[in-house]
Amino acid sequence: MKDKSLKGTFPVVFLTLVALIAVGLLVGIDSITAEKIEQQEDQKIQEMLAEMFADMDSYQADDPVEDIYTIYDDGDVIGYSFETVGKGYGGDIKLLIGLENDKTTLKGVTVISQGETPGLGSRITENAFLDMFAGIDKSDVALSKDGGQIDAITGATISSSAVVDAVMGAISEKVQLLGGSE
Amino acid sequence: MSNLIMIFLSLALVNNFIVSKFLGLCPFFGVSKKLSSAFSMGIAVTLVMLIASMVTWVINNYILIRYGVEYMNIIMYILVIASLVQMIELFIKRTNLTLYNALGIYLPLITTNCAVLGITLINASEKYSFIESIFASLGGGLGFMLILIIMSGIREKLDIADTPRVMKGLPIAMLVGMMLGLTFFGFGGIV
Amino acid sequence: MRKFLKHMSTGIIISNPIFVLALGFCPALAVSTSVDNAIGMSVGVLFVLLGSNIIVSVIRRWVPNMVRIPVFIVIIATFVTVINLVFHAYVPSLYESLGIYLPLIVVNCIILGRAEAFASKNPITDSIADAIGVSIGFFLALLIISFFRELLGTGSLSLFGTHLFTLPVLGENPMTVFILPPGAFLVMALLLALLRKMGVIKHE
Repeated sequence: MKDKSLKGTFPVVFLTLVALIAVGLLVGIDSITAEKIEQQEDQKIQEMLAEMFADMDSYQADDPVEDIYTIYDDGDVIGYSFETVGKGYGGDIKLLIGLENDKTTLKGVTVISQGETPGLGSRITENAFLDMFAGIDKSDVALSKDGGQIDAITGATISSSAVVDAVMGAISEKVQLLGGSE
Repeated sequence: MSNLIMIFLSLALVNNFIVSKFLGLCPFFGVSKKLSSAFSMGIAVTLVMLIASMVTWVINNYILIRYGVEYMNIIMYILVIASLVQMIELFIKRTNLTLYNALGIYLPLITTNCAVLGITLINASEKYSFIESIFASLGGGLGFMLILIIMSGIREKLDIADTPRVMKGLPIAMLVGMMLGLTFFGFGGIV
Repeated sequence: MRKFLKHMSTGIIISNPIFVLALGFCPALAVSTSVDNAIGMSVGVLFVLLGSNIIVSVIRRWVPNMVRIPVFIVIIATFVTVINLVFHAYVPSLYESLGIYLPLIVVNCIILGRAEAFASKNPITDSIADAIGVSIGFFLALLIISFFRELLGTGSLSLFGTHLFTLPVLGENPMTVFILPPGAFLVMALLLALLRKMGVIKHE
């Protein structure tokens, strides 16, 4: 250990200088990208809602209840939509659920993101599975083996039930908030 | 409570750091035949993961999020980890010289171990609470240690086995990793 | 010019980060589930490696030895954060696929290794050549691994949305194991054995 009492502070000064420059650079980059990142998120939601509600004209978030999107067509309410998260085999499954204006019939379900097993659980993103949710009554949201209308994907029971459970839970919670019937 | 156990088991077995998430591979391939080394390494890494998780959680929730500078997380986390490893290194050197010599170069290398930075990033992206982060880091670390211990046992037999020349060393170790990974799939039903 | 190419080519074969130096496995195995990911990750590594090599080389005469490693780490972490933000903003789907493995570039032994072993001791142009060479080596390794994993694991190959081709039998019933983590170990083991047999890399 050489005695650096004279140059003792230089290393610390140098490191601090480097750190300050680094922080400055990052603050700059962040200010450029932050807006774009937020835009991306909004755009993604908009595209998904537009696909689910073909007649959609505009939508409003947090209206009337927080975390619920109200869908409008020319000023009339045509439906509601909300996100939910289910616990799948490989982590979180983020879903977007669409509800008709009557607060009882499902418009559809879209998978926002998932980390299930490719080729097995990831098939929850396929139309063959998701189409089963479209147009059914909220009381029919259950696996066929439990008396509902949704057939689980062969070899992906965990992923399938995760989706069903998440949809069931979200609907009962949000419908209550919207003032609909049980 | 069951939620915490699920997080622990998920990161230890189902999404094991080494065979499922590929975090912490360097020590895995370099682990020796000695069970004691594997054990010491495992404990050291788990300890760093635990403390790093706690410190970075505080930094994340009370500084980064509060001031809206989440993007500073990478720099902050790695500096915390580097300092932590440095401190632990000094501590072990002063209290247990044999252990220090046994771990050798692998101790400072814990800084670049993907598992440590990995768990801090996982805690942030999963938005775990403080107590959840603790269980997550324990699960991840002990799962890591489990694989290291299993590998040290297999290593013994592997070194004297009649391996084809092209497969000796790294390739056969990779195949063992594959088989362990396939076996650990069996834990999938737990969560 | 010749020296530039020489430094570059070293990184591709002789010092190939994955197959020869055996560094940076974590992202390589995790991210090689598709060719898209491999390309994305390689771009990330190139950016960080280039940035850090250049800066480290520029300041090499002034960096006090005592704080060498922390300084390198701060520099590398900065570049990683930049690429993380840029990907998040401009290629969100790639950002989501790469997940935590993009920020994990900061602990990728390749980057710190090159900064320490090369950039801190060599002039700027050589450091640039080294960065490019090592990145190409990394990319080639990742490309080969992900090519096989995607092809055998899903039966088809797509590049950023454009479907390239589908294999006849595997298209319907792919060998899923290749896309799963154990598959990465398998492909890697076989590739290493093959490269050794071919004499491209040394035996143990």
